[in-house]
Amino acid sequence: MRRLLAIVLLLCLVAPARPASQAVVLVVRADSPLQELDSVSVRKLFLGFPVLINGSPLRPLRNHSDSLLDEIFLQQIVAMSQSNYDRQILIGVNRQGWLRPTEYVRLSDLVAALEADPYAVSFMWERDVGHNPKIRVIRVLWSD
Amino acid sequence: MRISYLLLAWTLLCSPLARGDPWQYELLLMPSAQAVGTFDRQAPVTEIVDEVVQIDTLFTVQRGPFKLFGEYLVSDHEHDLERFQLGWQATQDTVVWIGRYHQPTSVWNHDHHHGQYLQTSISRPFLDEWEDLGGILPQHFTGILVESGHKAFGSWRLRTAIAGGLAPIITPDGLEPFDLLHPDSKHHQVGFQARASLHPGEFTESGFGLLAATDELPAIGLTAPPIPGLDHADLKVLGAFGIYAASNWKVHATWYHVDTQLNSPTASVHGSFGVGYVEAERRLPHELTGFLRWEGSSNAGDDAYLKLFPMFVRQRNVIGLRWDFLSRQALTLQLSDTNTLDGHFSDIRLQWSAAFL
Repeated sequence: MRRLLAIVLLLCLVAPARPASQAVVLVVRADSPLQELDSVSVRKLFLGFPVLINGSPLRPLRNHSDSLLDEIFLQQIVAMSQSNYDRQILIGVNRQGWLRPTEYVRLSDLVAALEADPYAVSFMWERDVGHNPKIRVIRVLWSD
Repeated sequence: MRISYLLLAWTLLCSPLARGDPWQYELLLMPSAQAVGTFDRQAPVTEIVDEVVQIDTLFTVQRGPFKLFGEYLVSDHEHDLERFQLGWQATQDTVVWIGRYHQPTSVWNHDHHHGQYLQTSISRPFLDEWEDLGGILPQHFTGILVESGHKAFGSWRLRTAIAGGLAPIITPDGLEPFDLLHPDSKHHQVGFQARASLHPGEFTESGFGLLAATDELPAIGLTAPPIPGLDHADLKVLGAFGIYAASNWKVHATWYHVDTQLNSPTASVHGSFGVGYVEAERRLPHELTGFLRWEGSSNAGDDAYLKLFPMFVRQRNVIGLRWDFLSRQALTLQLSDTNTLDGHFSDIRLQWSAAFL
């Protein structure tokens, strides 16, 4: 019996771990007036277009904290290559004086900015939301 | 001084309405340097300047739905506040601007403005040329511009722009817009513009549209006007344009029909001409983009209004290659062959352009 238990434990240790499923979610401050946002509006928001709620513009915060998230941002949220995204942002500033999304490379800074502004909108790994009561998930943007 | 009053009024207006919203700002710098060589020159006058070093600065200050937006161009030939607009985002799809704007019936200028980096070719079509470079149509106005977008025919988008503002005047040096930094509205009259276009989606540049404009341009201080005692010129512009933009191709065509009327106390001279262009751009491997442009006109030689503009381009062929060699930096080589009303010349241009955000 002891030998069997040892074998089972050994198998558990050497067996390849199955990764937990991952998801990227759209998030706002818990008391944000934003209740829902369709995918077209999410794309517009992160391309710099004005998206208003109750007459006030939403403020997009781009999560630059890891490279996989960047890839998902380009493929799933704005649906264009980095160079095309870059050009689109320049065109928006040149034609309309649009503001580009504020970029954050540290998750803690992003969370602090999100918690400080009821009109801020960002995206992050679902696991990074955790049980933070100050942040509310609006929708899932991507999952594996 | 008047700008100070305007800024103060705007600040007072938006402060209570944008309460709680943070101040936000954006700054975009677009420098460029260009060298030009002309050859086979038989035209007495061209608009060519041998070298141009410039920096185009765009700035936005925004609070809630209100923003202050400006464009200031400094070059080795001029410096000017090209755009200075106070904006109100009335709805998600409608913005109301007050100030100095680029008139919306120039599709090229309304899309590219002064920054060289964002246009593929080095030169712009002559029909959209700026006033201080010999341009024939007014481009800078000071007044109100309303831009809007709506859903139409299912997933299509209708984009509109209507505007009215102080138009340029005609001087011995060409058209001269109202100068915000040295305001003198004594001679300027109001002109109106409208543009409407349909696009197959929210995010595409492809589309087609119609445009119209009407302007009264007083003539001040001309020593040799096309008609004796010229007082003012009336312009009526009707036009159509189309843009096809795919991942590797872009084709842009525009045609304007312009009715002109030169007025003196004793006579009026009517005329009309057509002017347009087609530009094709093809993205190639290795961050290269090739481009071709044909510019043409009809009835230009017979129109009295165009005699005010000795640099008017009757016909031009343009070919070039752009290399985006670094992120937000490009080198462009361009060859042109130009026929003016009085002659002919060719030119070769080399340009470095960049954008820093």
